[in-house]
Amino acid sequence: MTFISTFAPSGGRRLLRSGFVMPAILVAIVAILVVAPLARILLSTLTPEGIAAWQAVLVSPLSFNLWWRPLFNTMVLGFGVASGCLILGGFLAWLVVLTDVPGRRLLGLMGTLPYMIPSFAAALAWGTLFRNSRLGGSAGFFETNGLAIPDWLAWGLVPTAIVLIAHYYSLAYTIIAAALSSVGADLVEAGQMAGAKRPRIFFGIILPVVTPALIAAASLTFAGAVANFAAPALLGLPVRMQTLSTRLFGMIETGQNERGFVLALLLIAVSALFLWMSDRIVSGRKAFVTVTGKGGRTKRFPLGAWRWPLFAVAVTIGLLTTVVPVLVLAASSLAPQSGALFSNWTLHFWIGEGGGEIAQGQAGIFRNPVLIDALWNTIRLGLVVALTTMLLGLALAYTIVQRRGSLLATILSQLAFVPLLVPSIAFAAAYIALFGAPIGPLPSLYGTFALLVIAASAHNLPFAVQSGRSVLGQISADIEESARLTGAGLLRRLFAIIFPLAIRGLFAGAILVFVKMVRDLSLVVLLFTATSPVLSMVAYRYAAEGFMQFANAITLVILIVCLAASFLAHGLQNRVQKWKQP
Amino acid sequence: MNALATGAADAIEIRNLVKRFGAFTAVKDVNISVPAGSFLVLVGPSGCGKSTLLRMLAGLEGPSEGEIAFVGQTVSSGAGGVIADAGRRNAGLVFQSYALWPHMTVAGNIAWPLKVARWPREKRDRRVKEVLALLGIGALAERYPAEISGGQQQRVAIARTIAPEPSILLFDEPLSNLDAKLRIEMRSELMRIHRATGATSVYVTHDQVEAMTMATHVAVLNNGRVEQFGKPIELLRNPATTFVATFLGTPPANLLPARRVADMFVFNDTPLTSGSIAPGHDAVQLLYRAEDVSVGAVADKPSVTARFAEAAPIAGRTMVTAMLGELRITGMAEGYFSAMPGDPVTLSFIRTPDAVFAVSGERITQ
Repeated sequence: MTFISTFAPSGGRRLLRSGFVMPAILVAIVAILVVAPLARILLSTLTPEGIAAWQAVLVSPLSFNLWWRPLFNTMVLGFGVASGCLILGGFLAWLVVLTDVPGRRLLGLMGTLPYMIPSFAAALAWGTLFRNSRLGGSAGFFETNGLAIPDWLAWGLVPTAIVLIAHYYSLAYTIIAAALSSVGADLVEAGQMAGAKRPRIFFGIILPVVTPALIAAASLTFAGAVANFAAPALLGLPVRMQTLSTRLFGMIETGQNERGFVLALLLIAVSALFLWMSDRIVSGRKAFVTVTGKGGRTKRFPLGAWRWPLFAVAVTIGLLTTVVPVLVLAASSLAPQSGALFSNWTLHFWIGEGGGEIAQGQAGIFRNPVLIDALWNTIRLGLVVALTTMLLGLALAYTIVQRRGSLLATILSQLAFVPLLVPSIAFAAAYIALFGAPIGPLPSLYGTFALLVIAASAHNLPFAVQSGRSVLGQISADIEESARLTGAGLLRRLFAIIFPLAIRGLFAGAILVFVKMVRDLSLVVLLFTATSPVLSMVAYRYAAEGFMQFANAITLVILIVCLAASFLAHGLQNRVQKWKQP
Repeated sequence: MNALATGAADAIEIRNLVKRFGAFTAVKDVNISVPAGSFLVLVGPSGCGKSTLLRMLAGLEGPSEGEIAFVGQTVSSGAGGVIADAGRRNAGLVFQSYALWPHMTVAGNIAWPLKVARWPREKRDRRVKEVLALLGIGALAERYPAEISGGQQQRVAIARTIAPEPSILLFDEPLSNLDAKLRIEMRSELMRIHRATGATSVYVTHDQVEAMTMATHVAVLNNGRVEQFGKPIELLRNPATTFVATFLGTPPANLLPARRVADMFVFNDTPLTSGSIAPGHDAVQLLYRAEDVSVGAVADKPSVTARFAEAAPIAGRTMVTAMLGELRITGMAEGYFSAMPGDPVTLSFIRTPDAVFAVSGERITQ
């Protein structure tokens, strides 16, 4: 609220004229959504109990297990995953953008798919294949079939890192491929004219030009790995491998809220530090915009005899990170014995009645009322959050663009991007700190559907503002002004001009938010309660209790919902804006 | 090196050059040669194949047929593809987009090709300073390309290209991204650099004014074919085709369709000239330059009445354009002239046509 008072004296008359109510409401909303929870979690750790928690975490006999060890694991995961993603994503991007490899469109599509699959799907698939009998319970596919799996490959850091790389490399691919395709053919040909050979051109021109993108990809995948909850929880917790996010979850789940909050703040600090550092490296004088060549042409180098071998490598990577996990989950959800993936298939885990021999008498997921509830809740959550996020994003983007250069616009855009720096599980912890107890006359929101919606909308703000801006960017001021010159009022313009032009972009953004919510685990894992179950959480619970088939089946349901949403969106988009049809 | 000994070899010789992209033929049987030190301008409308021709000269594309020789040495041929690599032709290319490497400073951009060519450090530094001074951009040496204006980027691109002292300079529409004033300034700048370096230059443009002002040799391209090749004045005076006649020259020349009636060629019921200028042709196109068409009636000269379209003052006279049906006719009026669009204007043809073309567009020699 202090922002308003600092802003108001600068031009009172202009404020009144241009309608001050809407921006004030927006600032208030963003302050409540973003600033209040973060301020509250910080304040909670400054109480006497909070100070004690800081001491316990940082300087006590416990701190090795509470902080240093999880920090070490988190860092190893972060750096390992970032390097792995750069190598895999970079290789694929180079292949697709800069070479004459066959099937480039197919490879490009395969490169973007893994990000659509939730990371716990890959983690579950890994467990289904590689689990060994060290922890009791049924062994995975390989061990059942006589292939001994050492512990390091079944549990802990290595499989967690592999699963996270398989998930996040497609993010690196997307970023690097976009950067590589912006390296105009002219830049390369200018190097050729200078007489430089291919290695010299690659290391002297292409690599330095895309370095900012490489750094961005590394820091984003690092932040993703550091913040991820599902993979270390499923593959690490059984052998007591803790990362900051699983530690934080454990603390709050066992009621040690202050310690959890301290860990959340430390996790935010670690993640934000790296994102900030990478931003420092990239910005400044060298933050160059590539001048693209004629028609955005890119130079493709001939691979010669390596065309097909490299194609095979790329396809294998794509299959292993998309098709194989899904097939494994599907087979597992049909196999009564989790090690024997391909025998005695039954639909019991899907539609079986309870009380039988299989699965300790539990009914199939479609006969389980909790699960139907969760499915409904998940879709509702996705839809509501998509709607609130896009509306809020559009309103924020409009205000920011309209008042470009003003203090208000700066404050709004800075605040809206803060959640980007906050890992979702830490964000959830902040929401517990704020809404876990009644505030004045307001009841505690903890465990309600409303809290899930509010927290998720807040966490999606950066994306919302970004897509709102890009949607508005497609509508040039000229178009709006030419409508204004005909005498059309604001509402008329809104419905006749702006809305039809913006709808496609809004729709695309909304679908992405929907998919993100449906497959999210790390945000809902702390805010979920029995009264508001969501699919991902139910799947996680089943997996934690050893009912792998149920967990895998639910994960497949999540995947199908996500895929259906994407296809629906694709189909609808062409209907909505007919003039864009080919 | 043998070829050098003959002494007579042209700096650039293009023989029967053809370039096909799939079913599309971009360059069709082109033959051009120019001596060392020439300034050859390839001019034509967009899509005429001029940039493709330039890229083949640079060695960035191989020809489908024919060959290119620099000083007698074949560097590309349809049979052998790119024989000498782009970097080994002793040629430099200035890109339309400038293609400055965004991660290197201005000095870094200029020095990099010299590093690749393994110039010793001292010589390199000296040369960078030299070309920076030649282009008048010494103050920008430590800036990044994104920090300087388009005109300055253009100068950096030229400096980078001439730094290794290539014997052939190639320019791909280098001035098309500059505003009108800067373009005229850079035009004389480029001619100064051409004189200073003495390098044989090939310059691609769609702007016929650039072609007429800069070139020692001009090749007018249309649909991948050379319509006419020669010295600029020669092309202006003796255009070989209607395309060349209307493409070159300011203001554009008039081309009037006429048919033979009795012993005269008649345009729009107006007998214009004697039928003897094109024996054996019943229909021709007559070329009248704007200075041969006078606004207002002139005694004993044929005239037509057209509808006034626009007037533009040029050096104390006025260029008047009028419409006769769908045909634009441009003539000159003494002093200033103005009228309302649609007003009748009398245009007189005060001289005989400058050239006569067949309906097909070919010149009819008398």
